[in-house]
Amino acid sequence: MSNSSNKEVLLSLKGVDISFAKDGKKFRAVKNANFDIYRGETFSLVGESGSGKTTIGRAIMRINPLSAGEIIFKGKRISGKISKEEDMDVIRSIQMIFQDPAASLNERATIEYCVSEGLYNFHLYKDEEDRIAKVDAALESVGLLPEHKSRYPHEFSGGQRQRVGIARAMIMEPELIVADEPISALDVSIRAQVLNLMNKFKEEKGLTYLFIAHDLSVVRFISDRIAVIHLGRIVEIAETEDLFKYPLHPYTISLLSAVPMPDPIIEKQKDLVVYDESKRDLSGPKPILQEIRPGHFVFANDREMAEYEVKLQQMEKERAELDK
Amino acid sequence: MTTRDDLFEFAEFDETESEHIAAPRYSYWKSVWKTFIRNKFTVFTAILLIALVAFAMIQPMISGYDPMVAPNINNSSMRFLSPSKEFIFGTDNVCNSVFDAVWSGARNSLFIAFICTFINMVIGIALGAVWGFSKRLDRIMIEVYNVLSNIPFLLLAMILQYIMGAGFKSLIIAMCCTDWIFVAYFIRTHVMIIRDREYNLASKCLGTKTWTMITKNILPYLISVIMTYVSRTIPAYISYEVFLSYMGLGLGAKNASLGKLISQYTSYMNSYPHLFWIPVLILATISISLYIVGQRLSDAADPRTHM
Repeated sequence: MSNSSNKEVLLSLKGVDISFAKDGKKFRAVKNANFDIYRGETFSLVGESGSGKTTIGRAIMRINPLSAGEIIFKGKRISGKISKEEDMDVIRSIQMIFQDPAASLNERATIEYCVSEGLYNFHLYKDEEDRIAKVDAALESVGLLPEHKSRYPHEFSGGQRQRVGIARAMIMEPELIVADEPISALDVSIRAQVLNLMNKFKEEKGLTYLFIAHDLSVVRFISDRIAVIHLGRIVEIAETEDLFKYPLHPYTISLLSAVPMPDPIIEKQKDLVVYDESKRDLSGPKPILQEIRPGHFVFANDREMAEYEVKLQQMEKERAELDK
Repeated sequence: MTTRDDLFEFAEFDETESEHIAAPRYSYWKSVWKTFIRNKFTVFTAILLIALVAFAMIQPMISGYDPMVAPNINNSSMRFLSPSKEFIFGTDNVCNSVFDAVWSGARNSLFIAFICTFINMVIGIALGAVWGFSKRLDRIMIEVYNVLSNIPFLLLAMILQYIMGAGFKSLIIAMCCTDWIFVAYFIRTHVMIIRDREYNLASKCLGTKTWTMITKNILPYLISVIMTYVSRTIPAYISYEVFLSYMGLGLGAKNASLGKLISQYTSYMNSYPHLFWIPVLILATISISLYIVGQRLSDAADPRTHM
């Protein structure tokens, strides 16, 4: 990606296909996904339910196997079969934050065990004292108290549980965190708390996030770059402000139109654009993901590219007039 | 209506204070115990059960009852005595004390039931846990299950008796030979239900090994299910033993057992019915109280009842 040649690519997906087969029927959940994630950024993946965002996240965690393509992490292939040392290394470097904090913690284990699980697996502590010190530090860094160690997950609120989930990922000192809708199951009042915590870690430790979400207002707040995914196909990738200023793909436009405005008058007059692929003119050669502006990619064929170019120039003109 | 500012004051909000949990510390086993003893009937049954089992273990040691020894067999005045102070349950056809015979039989029956349950549970749980986890093993084990579960149990017991002769060993082997597969299958199904839950995925992402997953993530969730199974299995083995002994496939002549006593006393059903009913009642009391205690224990082991 030309504009970001000075940034280090941490994770890169190359032609990733993921299919699920059931009773001989094959379902392609992810179709030819290509994108890079740079070190230190928050890359968001947005799309509707069933669009394949979580599947991509799980493929990076190597829970879902790929049916084509490969995933490169720090220059090494991590998809498919890899050696045991590499496997352990990748497990440590890529951690995940789950959607449902109630379901993702072992209810029959204390918080101490939940948080130290990774430490035990990799023996990342000198002695028992060191392990407890590390657990205490991890709990404090997410705003929990060391006295919570001996408690069980069901004694905590949703926000507290999600913070335990973050502490357990952070204690491994990872480089990349796959956050699979980490705030969707949380109360609106504590969403900001968790997002701020994630941003705090990003600044302190130079973490990289793959943030999976469907709520664009949250995505706008947290991410540096956004990829829009529709039915397993990535339709647009751009820097956050670019995407919100100049949405090109009809699906992106419909997604942005769905963001609620905190003004009832605007909200009532708003035209909701419902994306319907069957009503689109899909003639011409097969579309591919093409770069229309530096860092701004859109899924289109040549005919559509020309249309988007006209539209983009018009939008840029309007924007320039507004700025005057 | 106006509000006066001086009636209100700013309350301070301490964020660390809001993180404190006011509830008393929760301990799993303590809560299990508390829930278990909450019901008086359960406590009564548990005490009765412990007393029965302890008595069955101790009494035969004191009486030294041996079915092969019948010192008064030629003393016809000692035959079929009614219950009295000296012979609490009276005497039987070979002039032995029914009281001694029944407890000695109960001891052997319980012994066999406990041993068989223990062996089958240990093999079944360990195997079933791995079986539920490994898709590759599942393909093989399901065939093993199909074969083993279709072997007629009675036939197996008879053949083993012919080969090994009657006794503890052959009876225990007969009851453990194929039964572990049912336990393993039962555990496998339960492991498969919770195997793909999100917290197990989370453990996988943290690099937890399969065996640690089984012992830390899966089995603690199955405690109450396993307890229910055990509470059904022990009485089932007691009645199995009774059934086999009644069919003449049991322990042989050298050892007493409840099954053998029942089959032996059936012929006096009309003339001396108490001979038949005493071992049956002891059997029923032990079985039912075992079942009740096990059920209540498994209910108590379910944390949803701990509120």
